[in-house]
Amino acid sequence: MARRLVMAAGMLAFFVAGLVRANGVLHLYNWNNYIAPQTLARFESVCRCRVAYDTYGSNEELLARLAAGATGYDILVPTGEAVQSLIRAGRLLPLDKRKLPNFVNIDPAYLNGFYDPGNVYSVPYAYTVTLLGYNVGKMRALGIPTDTWAALFDPRYLKRLRGRVTVLDDPRELLAAALKYLGYAANDVDPSHWQRAAQVIVKAKPYWAAFNNTSYIRLIASGDVWLAQGYSNDFFQAEREAESVREPFTIAFSVPKEGAVLAVDNMVVPKGAPRADLAYQFIDFMLEGRNASELTNLIGSGNPNRAARPFIRRALADNPAIFPDHAVLGRLEELRELDRKQRRFLNRLWLEIKLH
Amino acid sequence: MSISRGAPKRPFSSMTSRARLARWALSGPPLTFLAIFFLIPTLIMALASFGWPGREGGFSPLWYHDAAGWHFDFTLGNYRDIFTLRLFLVLYLRSLGYALATTGFCLVGAYPLSLVIARARVGYRNLLLLLVIVPFWSNFLIRIYAWMIILGPQAALSRGINAVLGLCGIRAVNLLFSPFAVMMGLVYVSLPFMILPLYANLEKHDPALLEAARDLGASAWSCFWRVTFPLSVPGVIAGATLVFVPALGAFAVPDILGGTRGIMIGNVIEMEFLQARDWPFGAALSIILTILALGATGIAAWAARRGIKAYG
Repeated sequence: MARRLVMAAGMLAFFVAGLVRANGVLHLYNWNNYIAPQTLARFESVCRCRVAYDTYGSNEELLARLAAGATGYDILVPTGEAVQSLIRAGRLLPLDKRKLPNFVNIDPAYLNGFYDPGNVYSVPYAYTVTLLGYNVGKMRALGIPTDTWAALFDPRYLKRLRGRVTVLDDPRELLAAALKYLGYAANDVDPSHWQRAAQVIVKAKPYWAAFNNTSYIRLIASGDVWLAQGYSNDFFQAEREAESVREPFTIAFSVPKEGAVLAVDNMVVPKGAPRADLAYQFIDFMLEGRNASELTNLIGSGNPNRAARPFIRRALADNPAIFPDHAVLGRLEELRELDRKQRRFLNRLWLEIKLH
Repeated sequence: MSISRGAPKRPFSSMTSRARLARWALSGPPLTFLAIFFLIPTLIMALASFGWPGREGGFSPLWYHDAAGWHFDFTLGNYRDIFTLRLFLVLYLRSLGYALATTGFCLVGAYPLSLVIARARVGYRNLLLLLVIVPFWSNFLIRIYAWMIILGPQAALSRGINAVLGLCGIRAVNLLFSPFAVMMGLVYVSLPFMILPLYANLEKHDPALLEAARDLGASAWSCFWRVTFPLSVPGVIAGATLVFVPALGAFAVPDILGGTRGIMIGNVIEMEFLQARDWPFGAALSIILTILALGATGIAAWAARRGIKAYG
């Protein structure tokens, strides 16, 4: 009897839940930990739908999954160069801006990227800057400048940092940093400049502890690593981690004077999205100031949304490495997509660097 | 002499049609499975390895039709690059080296253990075998991540070794992210695949043979080298194949434990498909790897036949 009662209650709950979620499912394919849980929950109650959250770890993974025939997603959040690739492959739906009244909240500085002039297909979501994060005390004690890529590449400085430096395990990012250090553009594709940058990397490599895309957050927060190339939001996390366990040092991060890479992630709707209507609803919802601000407050990502500023915590809003002013913004470059010959060349250069 | 290896001659021609039907019915499903999920993909890959990468990754079409008629767009460039660039040669040789060393270490480690299990009291045998299999109960990746912790710089092992090295005035070493860590991981995951076939073989040996050898004056060493080992050659070959082939294409172990210094050809193939989005070149690399693995299996089969002829 009791069991039957429990079953009936369960079915009733299921039925009610079904009513609440009557509007179906939005399939969101996004970076890991790239939306605040409360934002997601609020959207689910507003749209009376469920959000299926699927994640990827890199743009390459996203593109490979789509190229291999993955379908059924309503929203993707690729970085600029991947947006360009998707547009060129004809995979994205042009967006009807009349359905996105909150689009006006986006700071014009982040619109009209090289990858999508006029933002026909894409809406900026958040951004990060690839920069230098460091242990303030150690760098000061060793007399190493923290405003230049030389700290990462010049053996003169690296001698004092042996085994305490990590760089990103990403050919584009590391090459871009080396190119910037040499005074070239991050998007320079001249093979002889790439060779020179590779030489710089090979010379510095013996001093580095690792090529690393994720654990540098922990390593720098624990004091094992003193200097790292990484993403602004990751260093924000490391800074907070070191603070919260009351480490006797502080972590800081800054944009090198030679310039750095800016990565703007954009919401796009793939062609054939089963619920384009929900996708529009989601994009406009995320363009509301408060909703947009929650991601920044959670992970320290940059925010292209002007209406979000009042909701963003002071410590974040005042950090020029997270919210660069116009002078700094002028020194940032978004990576462009390489063509297939350049990709092949880069990959072989990268293998040679790694095997060296 | 022959120990349970005298396979009775089967007169295929006299098989009844019913027996033949049963044979196909039984082998049909696995054969179909292999054809769909192994043979056809391999053929697609072989074909793709002669193509160009597409503009945005993937493949550029191998042939197409337009107003001017049919066009074919094949290239040998992918294979030419593999054979002419030192880079890839080094990577294949390195992977072969890792696979050979893994097989060697596994053989040396597994043989005595298999012998002990095979000669243990019947009641113990199953318990000992169970202990060999127990690691399989936890996920492969978790076991590899465990090695990441064991070999890590903060772990007792590294600190102990470095303390000793420090006393001798030698600079501290990093165990993790090194070829050593890759070897450790490969041997660790491969060991059971050497132990089980060896045990299956050793367990069947007739103890009377060893008694006879002893009676005829053979030393323990001589008993092993002239009786036990020759009889176990088929087991050694089976184990070596099971260890060598997966080790050659290893991906997760060098990826997690190797850092940049322990990179193997499997990692490069992954890089070609994901990072470089250069599928045709990745396909060519993996076709060569498949050929190497097939070659190794062929040599093993040939050696097994020779071994049986020589000692059987």
